[in-house]
Amino acid sequence: MAELWNSIILEPVLNSLIALTTMVAGNFGVAIIVLTIVVRFALYPLTVRQTRSTKAMQALQPRMEELKKKYGKNQQKLQQETMKLYKEAGINPLGCLWPMLIQLPIWIALYQSIMQALASTPENLLNLSQHLYSWAAVGQAVPLNEQFLWLRLSQPDRNLILAILVGGTMWVQQKMVTPPATDPRQRSMTQMTTMMMPLMFGMFTLSFPSGLALYWVVSNVIGIVIQYFVAGGWGYLRAPSAPKPGADGKAVPVRKLPQSQQESPTIKKASKQKKGVFKR
Amino acid sequence: MVKLSFISVKLSKALLVLLPLAVLSLAALSCVAPASGGGCAGPGAQGWSGFANYDGILYLGSMNGEVLALNPSARSERLIFPSERDGEWVLRIKAPAPSGGMCGPLGCAPAARPVAIYGTPAVAADLVCVATYVGDGGKVMAINRSAPGYDEEGNPSWKKQGEWVYPRGQDSFIGAIVGSPVVLEDTLYVGSSDGKVYALDAVYGDKRWEFDTGGKIWTSPAVEDGVVYISNYEGRLYALSGQDGSLLWEIELPAAIASSPVVSGDTVFFGTFDHYLYAVDSDDGKEKWRFEGGNWFWATPVVKDNVVYAGCLDHSIYALEASTGRELWQFVADSPIVSTPVLLDSLLVAISDSGEMYVLRADSGVSERTVSIGYSVMAPLYAEEDMVYVHARDGGVYCIDVETGVIAWEFSSVVD
Repeated sequence: MAELWNSIILEPVLNSLIALTTMVAGNFGVAIIVLTIVVRFALYPLTVRQTRSTKAMQALQPRMEELKKKYGKNQQKLQQETMKLYKEAGINPLGCLWPMLIQLPIWIALYQSIMQALASTPENLLNLSQHLYSWAAVGQAVPLNEQFLWLRLSQPDRNLILAILVGGTMWVQQKMVTPPATDPRQRSMTQMTTMMMPLMFGMFTLSFPSGLALYWVVSNVIGIVIQYFVAGGWGYLRAPSAPKPGADGKAVPVRKLPQSQQESPTIKKASKQKKGVFKR
Repeated sequence: MVKLSFISVKLSKALLVLLPLAVLSLAALSCVAPASGGGCAGPGAQGWSGFANYDGILYLGSMNGEVLALNPSARSERLIFPSERDGEWVLRIKAPAPSGGMCGPLGCAPAARPVAIYGTPAVAADLVCVATYVGDGGKVMAINRSAPGYDEEGNPSWKKQGEWVYPRGQDSFIGAIVGSPVVLEDTLYVGSSDGKVYALDAVYGDKRWEFDTGGKIWTSPAVEDGVVYISNYEGRLYALSGQDGSLLWEIELPAAIASSPVVSGDTVFFGTFDHYLYAVDSDDGKEKWRFEGGNWFWATPVVKDNVVYAGCLDHSIYALEASTGRELWQFVADSPIVSTPVLLDSLLVAISDSGEMYVLRADSGVSERTVSIGYSVMAPLYAEEDMVYVHARDGGVYCIDVETGVIAWEFSSVVD
């Protein structure tokens, strides 16, 4: 299984990354950036599809809340009504799942390739030899020059710049897609999740090779750009993080989305296109 | 059907939040190598020291940062190690104070910086010289080979009896050292990851000269007729004056040099990362010939009687005519050849990465016998009389009788 993974997924990505290093004058940092961009753009249709599905499902959130209130005690009816709602909106519930699953192996391979290519110890370098193609561009690039800007790509960045960049970009990206929850319990959980990942990866950055952190930053920035243009704006980043309490102290559900979050013409168009698919 | 779709929706929502976190966390935990190595990139730094022999005692660096003096007779008798009356000892090189560590919001914790020894020790009169690899840093240490110093508490203290360390000072380091130090007369030559070649006084440890190549050095120098030949990972081979370190000539190749150079007659042989074995003129670096293998020529080639024996990571051992590069024979092993082979009269002994040892006829490459160690081997082989010594990745030292293929004795170099 491991050999199959290596030969079909890991090695093509790894060798492309190293060959790319030769093409960009032996600069591995630039190669990481370029390959991350290339892969993200190759997966662009899937990302767009995922973003649209997510947005469309989020746009239905207020109506979902209404359904929950109405049929909260009858789970079967709630499920039927929910599915009816999705059907009416032309949303495939699995629409945001498949693109993510398809992208997964590629991300893991990219992740592993960066680690393998850096070969920080002699043992790692020897291990790398067993995964390389006999391309001239690969042979000429190895062992890679790990210096990029102020970073040694095989070593952690001891100052906080990269950690802040990783955590910051990840937080922005998450904030853009996470709708404010109405339920206080759900809200605190959402807030925790939104903060946890950036904090975790910020901390990873301080102890893991900076080549990997560079990949995280670039990937996050591209994610933000795609999110901005596909969903039409900064999304929930500019929306209030939590509903304001009403006069009676109870939380008032957010019913109206900010302008940027209302179903964009792109989503409407996608929904129309999807209706046919869903009917099948 | 409705229920199934509803579950899918729930699953999609949960995955949207949890999947990136789970995947990246898993990948991080299982795959990301900390700075010291490990993870999906492979094992961490452990070292692969070969053997130096002086007065019948074998000196080597173990895989947990110790220097050992082994007496083959005491080992064959299976005496308790170290048998001091037989000249045996063990010296743990203390890990230096860390310069950095893992940092978090509550501050930084010191990171473990284990000492690894890749280079084969070199003996200079009463001293055995060892080069270390400690994270980014390295040192050269000269230890009294007959009785390394111990402090009052019984801890090893190697700054006695003429012992020295370069650079001096607990917090002073040069770049990490992967290649072996070479001692010629009273000078020690060593290349470092900081790109410099150092020439040190082998008796006192003072620096005589240094030469900055500008690229990482992970190979050993070759010293012949007062000339130091050394390669770096920028694809350059240098010939330096052993006297003062002045540059005699340098050549640049299309790829970095993988193996340590070896000099025979007027030719320097070495392998490169683009799968070639080169032969260049030792006077001016002019290429004589090159031979293409199927992977890197990582092991240092062995030259004798106008034949170059080169182990390759493509699982092959090649025998080439030294003057022309013509292939004489090729033997295909079961796995890559990382370890430098050794010649014993008319036999060539090579060992594969998987620990399969091959005793071949040097003139034809025909296999006489094979011996299975059962553990990976990356350290260079050493031969004395009819015995071949192997330092395997399990930390074991194996003494094998080449004539019979029997393992005469084995010993774990990882001492508790």
